[in-house]
Amino acid sequence: MRTTLFLFLVVSSWAQTLDPAKLSAPPTDTWPSFNGDYSGRRFSPLTKVNANNVSSLSLGWVYRMTAQSAGPFPGSIKSTPVVVDGVMFFTIPDHVWAIDARTGRELWHFAWPSRGGIHIGNRGVAVYGKWLYFETPDCNLVSLNMKDGKERWHKQICDPDLLYFASAAPLVVGNHVIAGVSGDDLDVPGYIQSHDPETGAMQWRWYAYPEVGSPEAKSWPTVEAMLHGGGMTWGSTTFDPELNLIYFGTGNPQPVIAHKGRMGDNLFTECIVAVNADTGKRAWYFQSSPHDTHDWDANQTPVLIDGTINGQPRKLLAQAARNGYFFVLDRVTGKNIVTSTFAKANWAKGLDQKGQPIPDPAKYPQIDGALVSPNQAGAANWPPPSFSPATGLFYVNASNAYSVYYIYDDTEKPEGWGGNDRGGWSETVMQAIDYQTGKIRWSHKWEGPGGPRSGVLSTAGNVVFAGDPQNNFVALNATTGQPLWRANLGAGMSNGPISYQLDGIQYVVVGAGDTLYGFAMHGK
Amino acid sequence: MNRWLVGALWAELIAGTLAAQRPPAPAAMKPTLPDGPGRQVVQQACGSTCHGAEIVAGKGYSRDNWATVVNSMIARGAKASGTEFGEIVDYLTKNLPPRTGKAGAGGVGFIGSGPDDAHLVDGEAAERGKSVYVAECITCHGNRARGGPDSLPPPQRGADLVRSLVVLKDRYGATIAEFLKKGHPMQSGKPSASLDGPQVLDLAHFLHLKVNDTLRSGPFSEVINVLTGDAKAGAEYFNGAGGCNKCHSVTGNLAGVGKKYDPPALQQKFLFPKSFSVGRGGRGVSSTKPVTLKVTPAGGKTVSGVLLHLDDFNVSLRDDAGEYHTWTRSSGLKVEKSDPYQAHIDLLDKYTDKNMHDIVAYLETLK
Repeated sequence: MRTTLFLFLVVSSWAQTLDPAKLSAPPTDTWPSFNGDYSGRRFSPLTKVNANNVSSLSLGWVYRMTAQSAGPFPGSIKSTPVVVDGVMFFTIPDHVWAIDARTGRELWHFAWPSRGGIHIGNRGVAVYGKWLYFETPDCNLVSLNMKDGKERWHKQICDPDLLYFASAAPLVVGNHVIAGVSGDDLDVPGYIQSHDPETGAMQWRWYAYPEVGSPEAKSWPTVEAMLHGGGMTWGSTTFDPELNLIYFGTGNPQPVIAHKGRMGDNLFTECIVAVNADTGKRAWYFQSSPHDTHDWDANQTPVLIDGTINGQPRKLLAQAARNGYFFVLDRVTGKNIVTSTFAKANWAKGLDQKGQPIPDPAKYPQIDGALVSPNQAGAANWPPPSFSPATGLFYVNASNAYSVYYIYDDTEKPEGWGGNDRGGWSETVMQAIDYQTGKIRWSHKWEGPGGPRSGVLSTAGNVVFAGDPQNNFVALNATTGQPLWRANLGAGMSNGPISYQLDGIQYVVVGAGDTLYGFAMHGK
Repeated sequence: MNRWLVGALWAELIAGTLAAQRPPAPAAMKPTLPDGPGRQVVQQACGSTCHGAEIVAGKGYSRDNWATVVNSMIARGAKASGTEFGEIVDYLTKNLPPRTGKAGAGGVGFIGSGPDDAHLVDGEAAERGKSVYVAECITCHGNRARGGPDSLPPPQRGADLVRSLVVLKDRYGATIAEFLKKGHPMQSGKPSASLDGPQVLDLAHFLHLKVNDTLRSGPFSEVINVLTGDAKAGAEYFNGAGGCNKCHSVTGNLAGVGKKYDPPALQQKFLFPKSFSVGRGGRGVSSTKPVTLKVTPAGGKTVSGVLLHLDDFNVSLRDDAGEYHTWTRSSGLKVEKSDPYQAHIDLLDKYTDKNMHDIVAYLETLK
């Protein structure tokens, strides 16, 4: 508290600052972190835009990344913008922009001199006081001054020589900047780590493998396999301040497809993990995909829900996983409460005593192919879902999909991938899931073949915002799923939408390809 | 070794790279798409919504493998017409062929992952390096440099060199030479420091090639064999439970299909008929039939044609006369959709893997 007060006094003279205490209960004129708040629910309490008037939502501004500022091929905006004191910050790999949240006017642009790494996407920035933090494909955590985008320091968080790269949005928790890492080309271990927001010094690191000799280590055939077993941490992290636990998912085990050298559950890959924010010490884990062989990273947001089960108030955590399963856990203990499917999934033969799916060996990748649903892109993936406490529904833009998984490397010691999936069919469906039962309350199938899925925003105005596969940014009635409004943006929606209110005007901002669109609801 | 020691080891390795700060490289060094026919459609379809074109520009594949990549993207919602997908595969095949053989080819950095200054493998040097490897290293480190076989006792079971930090941190033999100078057993019994500079460089090219071969973009990403089914059972399914014969005839529209496609393409084609196929001999085969619509306004006349756009709010089609029609959707507007491949989609929920293999075996006989 003293730190917070001190920080508040120091920073009150600066124009753009964020008191870290506000990350728990953010004011509605901000969107101060990747998910908007620590719960990961991406729910806006604003009601100026609502199911009755959303058809009057109009375009307030447009910001397009230009070739001059972002190089010849800027790619698409996959970051969720952060808004603090009227200024919006967003990223693509190696680039950060600050623009006016009321007008879209560019304030500054920062370009990181890259030394390589996979430039597939960047999820955005974290803020602390007057500082910004973001990750680069060549494995750096970079801190900038929010005022002018000048670099303050950078710290290497992984090693590009081992084919790690970095893409996640960091999360600020107290005096920690939590940073996850990516990369599954070679067989290296996943981890997540914490840095001092002032100096950048590393505070702790948690590895996605168990202690040698522990019961969990028996989930690997050898120590060698375990230490090269993957489990990257590229998803979004959530936080319960009362429990002082952070929650995140871990990615696929290595080798990814050709799995015969790693028989067993492969802990702690494919897990939802709870870790003490100050020490990095594990509190519990739950494995979404024991012995995954389909690249179904369990990095989808662990959404924190303060809900009710059998009439009792409970601290819950829900995940709509890439493998097609929906899980609700007690986030104090990690014990499973609900397991269901929210999309086609033909790869499991039941649930174990912990509520985890049991993989069907017949649906492991095969030399002559195994027809598997979902496909490698998954029933869900990085586009963030949303939970509305107003409707009690968990919204996820889901894919029903099939593809064929093959083993390419049938030698004694496959490494890397050693196989892949090919081809496929998919369709995209907005699923509204009752968190208490896992049952689908309503389902809205988007027309056409499945497309790039978008993130989701739900609001107290009884609206769900999401993208369809036809380049539309769509508002649905949150209670019924009825489509209410759309704007065709000419490119697929490529991030998670956000909302904030400034001077009585509610904004809804979304990225599509190389452009950010700021929709605004004027009037009373 | 406990978890913390292991963790400390990894931390030290990563901290080691921290100390070796390199000067910044300009961001403009990212690969871009070469000029050529089809570049525009590649840029639009592959470089706008999901990822930048540099993801594509860094790769190099055969026509078959590019078609596989494009089909995976079609399944994930890539938007283009059948003709455009053909142009995309043609462009990629011509402009981004497999990177093998010559100096400067096959570098980790240029396939999109790893550092930009990664060791670029010279194929001829790697071939010479293979001789060094076979003469001095292979007994302990194995045929693929992934470590000796489990049958060897631990002292003789050499390390996995594809996972070796000495190799992964190496550039053009520098780190490997440093390691060998310290002394390391060799098959010939000679001191490892006796390998001269060119030999170490060749060996480095060979070991980096083994790393690149391990990557998913490496040269061994091929289907091994899908002809494992029972052709007779496949014929029974085709004419029975599968109901394939309701639309297809093995002497009519499927005559010679086994000659047209190789077995892996055949398997993909009947499962996912909208995919872009490469036939035997490397020719692109794209003959998918479009989805059609019948739209009837309240009290109006029905208009039929090829679906151009359909979402929750709008619908458009082109009729047989080539005229474009567009409507706002409403409760009074009747829209009927007909997908010629719906039976294939419905079968995905029904096939067993045995059915799938049997059908491939059967279709393969149709020559």
